[in-house]
Amino acid sequence: MIGAPTRVLLSLAIVALVQTAVLAYMVIDRMRLIASGREITLPVVPVDPRDLFRGEYARLGYDVGSVPLRLLEGPRPRANAAFWVTLDKMPDGNWRAVKVTSERPREPASPDRIVLKARSSYAWPHDSPPETAVRVRYGIESYFVPEGQGRKLEALAREKKLATLLAVDGNGNAAIKGILVDGVLQYEEPLF
Amino acid sequence: MSWYRHKVERDLAHWQTAGWVSEAGAGAIRADLLSRRSPFGVAPIFAMLGAILFGCAVMSFVAAHWTGMSKLARLTLLLVALWGCYAAAFALFRRGLAGFAQAAVLAGIAIFGASIMLIAQMYHMEGNPPDAVLTWALGALLTTVLVRSPAALAATFVLGVVWSSYERTLAGAAHWEFLPLWGATTIVAGWLGWRPGLHLAAISLVLWLVPLGFFLFDHHAHWIVAALGALAALGAAVAGPAIDRRMRGSAALFAYAIILAFAGLYLLAFVDESRFYRAPDTSWTPQLVLLAVLTLALLLAAMLWALMSGNRGALWLAYGGFALEVFSIYVKTFGTLLDTSLFFLVAALVVSALAWTAYRLHRRAPAAEASA
Repeated sequence: MIGAPTRVLLSLAIVALVQTAVLAYMVIDRMRLIASGREITLPVVPVDPRDLFRGEYARLGYDVGSVPLRLLEGPRPRANAAFWVTLDKMPDGNWRAVKVTSERPREPASPDRIVLKARSSYAWPHDSPPETAVRVRYGIESYFVPEGQGRKLEALAREKKLATLLAVDGNGNAAIKGILVDGVLQYEEPLF
Repeated sequence: MSWYRHKVERDLAHWQTAGWVSEAGAGAIRADLLSRRSPFGVAPIFAMLGAILFGCAVMSFVAAHWTGMSKLARLTLLLVALWGCYAAAFALFRRGLAGFAQAAVLAGIAIFGASIMLIAQMYHMEGNPPDAVLTWALGALLTTVLVRSPAALAATFVLGVVWSSYERTLAGAAHWEFLPLWGATTIVAGWLGWRPGLHLAAISLVLWLVPLGFFLFDHHAHWIVAALGALAALGAAVAGPAIDRRMRGSAALFAYAIILAFAGLYLLAFVDESRFYRAPDTSWTPQLVLLAVLTLALLLAAMLWALMSGNRGALWLAYGGFALEVFSIYVKTFGTLLDTSLFFLVAALVVSALAWTAYRLHRRAPAAEASA
């Protein structure tokens, strides 16, 4: 903190501006994704059936959250590095993982196919049987609910079917847009 | 710095009575000491702690008033707090309260980080959580450079280590990306000319290096860490005068290198040692003996060098390492008391022999100086 007051003022202003810009970028990027991303619905599989909503924070599991090793095409992704999972829409309306690649697949978009960006905490096993399940995260596994609402959702989850409404952009980034209970949108995320 | 002032004060009194320092000389020394006050007095340190607590308060306030506030209101509050901190820093700086201004800058960085976390939470972003810590660290580094703030520099080092440890835990692999950030932050520390900043650089590098062996080769490669430390210690000892001509620091470098070497050997011998023991009842293996002998030899050599070069920090560290090593050997070999007693007997004989040698060296040194 040496220098003339004008210089200090200028420096502090630049710091505040840059930090504000970073925060604004985070928000705008997310809004863009939620507003213009493609919508899909994924059924929620409880991770811990006894305690799905621990207070204000829920962990959401999905069928596509574990993929068999045989789906991997090409080089194995490095531990904690991003890779892409291609999902196909089945005749029953559910999405199923059909392919895992280290690079983003460059295929024309189709209504029955979508690509999600994913990460896995562990290195992909080398010599395991092809049916070995690998746990993957899409960044849509946690949902923060308003304080006091957790218990209500938990009770709902016990007897009804939960699903998340997602927005997915062209790079495979996914964002939770809302939560559906028995097919009805119950929690919708306001942009502001 | 006050411990140093106390010591000089005591010595000054002694030197004055002995007639080596004049009244005027002593006065000048005292005045110089007073003028060299550290910018981090007690009040600014409390202010820094206050700044961190303030950041926590904002974070939990926003998190708690989830339902009562719209997203826009929450975002506005965070930005007002952020700009408020930097405005306060400017006001405090203009009034000449540099220490408090530093605290306000630190509060700004804390709120920047809190905002990243809260926005991620508000919009259910998960992505790769360490990326959020990296963004925070880069924000702190930018603040350090522009505002020339030691407090922001310290925050950058802490956040850098947190980021790298987080990434390394998730990936289960060595995280080399830490080194460019560490290098940049260390260059900034040198440019600021803030000595404790260079210590922080060394400490964060040591923290990053110590567990490195778990992530290299066979995941037990702690010998690399030990060898790096031993080499650095040797370098600091041999090239000490050359280093000190450029920038006084070989003593500290030697101390950090000894920590590193000891940590590597200790991990091999006591933490990551399970593969030494094939049968569950074997507790005493040739590898452990070899490692113990190597470690004690390293510590004794470090003590000797520290005594010869007047490096008090390294001396105490080596004493501490010696005590830890001996205690760990005792715990490890508990149950085979006869072996343990034999080991301690040999160690005692070696140390006594060294003490005798050191005593002889010590006696000869003043004589040599006198004759020179």
